[in-house]
Amino acid sequence: MKNGFEIRKGHNFPAIHWLWQSQVGISILSLTLSLILLLSMSLISGAQPFVVLASLFEGALRGKHSIISTIRETAIITLAGLAVLIPIRVGFFNIGGQGQIEIGALAAVIVASNLQGSPAVVITAALVAAMAGGALTVFAPLFLKIKRGASEVTTTIMMNFACIQLVSAMITGVLKDPGAFYGTTRAIPEEYRLPFFPPELGLHMGVWVTLIIAMIAYWVMKRTVFGMYLKAVGSNKDAAKASGISVNKVLAVAVLAGAALAGLAGGIQAMGVTYKVAEGWSKTWGFTGIPVAFLGGNSLGVIPVAFLLAILETGARHMQAMTGVPSALVYVFQGIPVLLFVCLSAMRLLNKKSSSA
Amino acid sequence: MLAALRAATPLIFCALGILVAERAGVLHIGVEGVMLAGALAAIIGTVLGGNPWAGMLATISAGIIAGIILAFISVSLPTDQVVIGIAFNLVSLGATSFIFRLLAKQLQVLVPAIPPLLFGLSPFTLAAIVLIVVMWWFLFWTGPGLKLRSVGENTHAAHASGINVVYVRFAALIIASVLAALGGAALTMGWVRSFTDNVTLGRGFIALAAVYFGRWNPLLALGACLIFGAGEALAFRGQGTGAGLNPHYYLMLPYILTLLVVGLAGMARGPGDAGKPYLRR
Repeated sequence: MKNGFEIRKGHNFPAIHWLWQSQVGISILSLTLSLILLLSMSLISGAQPFVVLASLFEGALRGKHSIISTIRETAIITLAGLAVLIPIRVGFFNIGGQGQIEIGALAAVIVASNLQGSPAVVITAALVAAMAGGALTVFAPLFLKIKRGASEVTTTIMMNFACIQLVSAMITGVLKDPGAFYGTTRAIPEEYRLPFFPPELGLHMGVWVTLIIAMIAYWVMKRTVFGMYLKAVGSNKDAAKASGISVNKVLAVAVLAGAALAGLAGGIQAMGVTYKVAEGWSKTWGFTGIPVAFLGGNSLGVIPVAFLLAILETGARHMQAMTGVPSALVYVFQGIPVLLFVCLSAMRLLNKKSSSA
Repeated sequence: MLAALRAATPLIFCALGILVAERAGVLHIGVEGVMLAGALAAIIGTVLGGNPWAGMLATISAGIIAGIILAFISVSLPTDQVVIGIAFNLVSLGATSFIFRLLAKQLQVLVPAIPPLLFGLSPFTLAAIVLIVVMWWFLFWTGPGLKLRSVGENTHAAHASGINVVYVRFAALIIASVLAALGGAALTMGWVRSFTDNVTLGRGFIALAAVYFGRWNPLLALGACLIFGAGEALAFRGQGTGAGLNPHYYLMLPYILTLLVVGLAGMARGPGDAGKPYLRR
């Protein structure tokens, strides 16, 4: 072999062959390997790996309160994952999720605390504002990509930090709650918060909205003409253009939709969980969305991956308290699977090339 | 002015690292992660080794290790360099915080300040400025520099003219990572004198902005780093006195300026083959 990567293809073992050949298989493989790595890292810090694993799941899934917070977390991460996944279908790598989430949340809070009217109207308006905020954030990178050919990688990263600083400036400045000692907006009025559904459960509407959106996105991408366009533009722009698809329009719709979903994620979190935007209110969901999109592969596959990462995120604190293993390990778990996934996919590609040649 | 230079020093190191890598055609998004690793290694080395030289040694080795990992993944395998960079940043953020917790008892001290060498400038700042000039000379006036740039512009042409593309990219990425790690050391050893979780706070990305702002030219990138450093220094001053514009607006400056430059100049495209994995045809 020219490239020096001799990988046993495992023809004798159907299970291994399947793991190696399918995208899902590689996702599962990289997640499992990372989990093993995670457990061995916990050995380094002097804890029993299985105790660590048990406390992680206990922290995330034991008792109504922690299950609910895990599910809420899953919803946010799913939306953040979709915000990366949909644009990447057309070859636009949206790294600006974090900025879009922050702006979306701020937009939702502004609308919800300034509008008067019936709760249904105000909540809808706030969520629409969140989506608009997210989409607005990606507008400059999109424009520069289409008109100037500027790489979206650079511009969305720049927008990210610009947005985060803008939100910080707002909540410590113009929109600061005068009664607070730190930078925060006023809390949203009680009646304009996301209602619980079903009411006796502490699960807000946003979770269901997320589920529906993921299903719609799946349907659009698999079963509609527009989904076909997305695929065509993503795999070969010139061919798509030649066959009469308006490439820029498809690109713009996909990117704006993705960014709007990131904005919605922020809006849902602000209106359903935190009820305000304060300093350090958010986790790095926007970046978490990237591993989720890659490992999930499609709009429904995003959900289980998001659930797994949500378990890690909510369980991490309990794990740290019970076993002394630093919760920072969770970030390692967000990165390693993607590295493995990308490497394994690349190796498979090389393998295919050399075996077909 | 001194404050601006001090804030700019880590940026200059990182910008140089990004420059080398991208001139060789490898997008170096992982610079933030490498910087964090270098920042932690510097503190560990200084505290455990007892003197700043041990810190430098630890930083350089951290840079080399990170460079080899990154180079193996993104040069030897046809992977998406952006994804690799982002994932590497996440891993590095987790791993450095993890290691820091493990050693927290020893590390929660201020390392001794490094005395200024000349005109009140720290050795880091002086080294950064010297390196900028050296890099400019290397890239534009020497044979190896020309080879490096040709690999970045067109891998297949470079390959046809007898350059070992993989070797050049490997070397460039390792040098780039050592420079980025030094940037981290300049931040922890040379400035804040201790490590905290995510101490770099996106400075790697500011350096990235500086490189794009400076159009992949070391001397222009130096200018960009100085402007951004001045912005940061102003923001700190604003925070201290509580007067004037909200400090966050100054911190926004690098990103907005870069976006404007990308928007207005349009032509500011990087090296032709930057970001494309190299597959031998």
